[in-house]
Amino acid sequence: MTDLLYASPMAVMIIGAFTLMLTSQNKISLHKFNIIAVAFLILSLVIQLYLFNEQSNSKYLFESIFGETFIMDKFSKTFDLMFTIGSILTLLINTDYFKSRSYFNGEYFAIILFSVFGMMMLSHSNELISSFIALEIASLAIYTLVGYHKNKNTSSEAMMKYLILGSLAGAFFMLGVTLIYASVGSTLFNDITHYVHNTDVEDMNMIFVGASLIMVTVMFKIGAVPFHSWVIDVYQGAPSPITMFMASTFKISVFALILRLYLVNFASVNEFWIEMLQIITVATLIGGSLLAISQKYIKRMLAASSIVHTGYMLIALSSIGLGAELAAPSLMFYLIAYFISAVGAFGIISFLSSQEFSELTYDDFKGFADRRPYMALLMSIFMLSLAGFPSTIGFLGKFYIFTSSIQAGQILLTGLGIATAFISVYYYFKLIAVMYFYSSDQHKTKLPINMSTILIFLMAGFVIWGGIGTTLISVFPGADGFINVAQDAIESLRSY
Amino acid sequence: MENILSYIIFTPVITAIILGAIRANLNTLKFGATLSSVIVFFLSLLLALKFDPELMMQFLITKPWIPTAGFSYHIGVDALSLVLLLLTSTLMPLLYIYMQKEQRKGYWYNMMLLQTGVSGAILSLDLILFYLFWETMLLPIFIMIGKYGSGMKQFNAMKIFLMTVLGSMSMLFSIIYIGYIYFHTNGVWSFNLDDLSMLSLSAQTTAWLAAGFLLAFAIKIPLLGFHTWMAPAYGSSPTPAVVILSAIMAKLGVYGIWRFGYSLFEEVLVFYTPYIIFLAILGMIYYAIRAVSENDLRKMFAYASGSHLSLIALGVILSNSYAWSGSLYFIATHALASAGIFLMIGLTFRRFKTLDISKLGGIAQTFPKFTFFFAFFALSIAGLPGTGGFVAELLIILGAFKYDLTIGIFTATTVLLAIIYVFWMLQRTLFGKVNDHIKNIDAKDLSLIEIAMLSPIVILLLLTGIAPSLFTPFIEPYVLNSLESLTPLLTGVK
Repeated sequence: MTDLLYASPMAVMIIGAFTLMLTSQNKISLHKFNIIAVAFLILSLVIQLYLFNEQSNSKYLFESIFGETFIMDKFSKTFDLMFTIGSILTLLINTDYFKSRSYFNGEYFAIILFSVFGMMMLSHSNELISSFIALEIASLAIYTLVGYHKNKNTSSEAMMKYLILGSLAGAFFMLGVTLIYASVGSTLFNDITHYVHNTDVEDMNMIFVGASLIMVTVMFKIGAVPFHSWVIDVYQGAPSPITMFMASTFKISVFALILRLYLVNFASVNEFWIEMLQIITVATLIGGSLLAISQKYIKRMLAASSIVHTGYMLIALSSIGLGAELAAPSLMFYLIAYFISAVGAFGIISFLSSQEFSELTYDDFKGFADRRPYMALLMSIFMLSLAGFPSTIGFLGKFYIFTSSIQAGQILLTGLGIATAFISVYYYFKLIAVMYFYSSDQHKTKLPINMSTILIFLMAGFVIWGGIGTTLISVFPGADGFINVAQDAIESLRSY
Repeated sequence: MENILSYIIFTPVITAIILGAIRANLNTLKFGATLSSVIVFFLSLLLALKFDPELMMQFLITKPWIPTAGFSYHIGVDALSLVLLLLTSTLMPLLYIYMQKEQRKGYWYNMMLLQTGVSGAILSLDLILFYLFWETMLLPIFIMIGKYGSGMKQFNAMKIFLMTVLGSMSMLFSIIYIGYIYFHTNGVWSFNLDDLSMLSLSAQTTAWLAAGFLLAFAIKIPLLGFHTWMAPAYGSSPTPAVVILSAIMAKLGVYGIWRFGYSLFEEVLVFYTPYIIFLAILGMIYYAIRAVSENDLRKMFAYASGSHLSLIALGVILSNSYAWSGSLYFIATHALASAGIFLMIGLTFRRFKTLDISKLGGIAQTFPKFTFFFAFFALSIAGLPGTGGFVAELLIILGAFKYDLTIGIFTATTVLLAIIYVFWMLQRTLFGKVNDHIKNIDAKDLSLIEIAMLSPIVILLLLTGIAPSLFTPFIEPYVLNSLESLTPLLTGVK
């Protein structure tokens, strides 16, 4: 019975998805579908919150049926919360966008719920095959969503590109699993951990190759250089709400898998990947920055800059490998920080494309502060946070990443991280400069007060609150609260 | 009373937030901004009255800010920061008087944010807090140059911003590293200056850490080689921004060396001394020569300001009692003089619509009051006896001679060069034949409000020049006390 309760957040998601799918042919307005989807998500969220504060050790879900395949711990609970909140925000912030485009229908919301289900399954999964299935459930949903605008060439192109490359990358994962199975004789994480701990390094060649192949898939999904070539086109081609969903929520889910693999399973042989990982990190930071500098479209710039943010997270990943205790919580915190800022920034982009122009270039933002002073202010706050300016949550995220990296002894990598943060100041502030430095002949547009704008305001509030933190109001968790949550989550992983 | 420093820092920004939240109209905004600056001015005066010159750090506030990361809200005031704080809070109301006809609302919000940033940076004693304010004061400058400036404003705004951020990023690296070393030795995070100054670091590490800080400060001052943003940014800035830039923000570079350099890595500073002296002297002379040849009034005084800031930096790095007293004194008097001259340049542009020296000329014949103030501030930049600049420069030069004869001679030359560019400029702008451009302009002499705005600065400059003994009791104990803690180090090296 308790298993049923623990699994209910996921179950709600899948029930919701099927409900929406079955009713999608009825003549119910899109708005209602949206509300139904959000209602299911909120129901799941409520159950999760109820379960979250429960002081219990990690346990397996339906152990009698699945064995040790699915695990329920603080770590997966934290990630579940992020996925659910991320998709609620995606649906609510984009209310206007759905209204403004004719190609959305009820299935769209079902697919979103399916992908959230996939992500949640991924964060709970304690076995390689089921992680692969979970990853593919989430990915397939995302492929469909990317190509949702069927009549738009760039959208279809993005979908094909992502689908083919993604499936190819997925094949590497399966190959890796096969090799690991060949030497371990099991795909359960626990067995792998046991095997890795008790075997000499010389005898683990298959494990190394297999795990490296799994890393290829994972690096592809998070868009690390040299597996990044899809990122910019897909982000641009996808409808804005999907871009937001991918950048904020889907990316996090892959990190759930990485963290579990890294912190638990391959913890004792992490040194093997360090150099490889560091090279990828350097390439990601530099490559992402170079791409971001040269973009003309805001969406593409944000896409390219998301590669750079992946680079920062990879810094933390190699710090984990080098044994810095601060690194894993700092990575979790960075995920939260990036999540909040990215939701805000992409939220504004999709809010704007629902209102005025569809292709947003830097030039389109000329005189934006005159036309929409509040939106410009909010956009600036998100840009500041993404650039890691102090007093925003982005700064704190970078701060934790860099300190943990210094703790791991990666001085040069930290230096490079700070250098790319400097470069990022250029392309983020270019947007602020364009918004504020030019005047506009058009009239001031009044800020509509609706769900989208309220939520974007709320996100901006979080950015500032998270950065300034505070000990003034002790009830409300400031920036400390987030890092404590992150630490708890990591602890629950390690304790196993 | 114990929270007076917090009030001083946050009054402007909170006023700005309230005004923004109620969507204040222009007049309310003007009134609110001016009121906040006046409140801060009186609070600072109160602070100065309660200030005990014999003690070092006072009015300390230490509160945990983000405890897990070791950030603390640690602020306090000593003679060094008091001088800068008083200057800021004195100049702000005057700038608001200058801006009274300003229609654009953003201008006022930016000024309030700027004041918070500057006074926060002056008062913070926690490195991360300092970094926060250091970056915060840059934002309004960026927006003000880019939005309200002139010439290639967008380009120049980006230039000053990126160059300064480059410095801050290198400083951030050093801050994080030094914080980590503290964590490594003590097991807890702290960025509190008191804690960090207790650390004993290896020589090589310190050299790198110091380089990170010094880059930020060198760009801010700017020392020669780090100065390429200076003339374009000063040239494009609107007057209030340029006043704050030259009077306060540039001094913060020197302040940073003084406050953080001499408590975190004094050994390295002693090691770097010859190089910094070299750069400073080269800068003093180079900037002075550029000032002579510059044809745009604002750029000319930008270089003049650079030259004098190099002199202050030189005084700080020489670290003897004459030089330090002189530098501290010069920080105050130069801020006043440069605020005065840049305000006058702003008024010049308002009247004559040009800052090109060759288009001005013969102003004295028709605008006597204007001429008086312009000449007075220009001459106090040059260090006219009777103004505070003279006393300060004399002290620094004495300090330089005490350190080394050659350095003394070079330092003294800058004063001569300053006289050359100032007098030549005065001759071409104020005196001589009335230029056609001036003849055709229908402008009035200084109004009463403008005189009221400028007179406090004149009075302060005269007061500091004629009766330095009024002010020295404030700074002397500070200088002697802080030198005392350095003495073993300095004598050990020599």
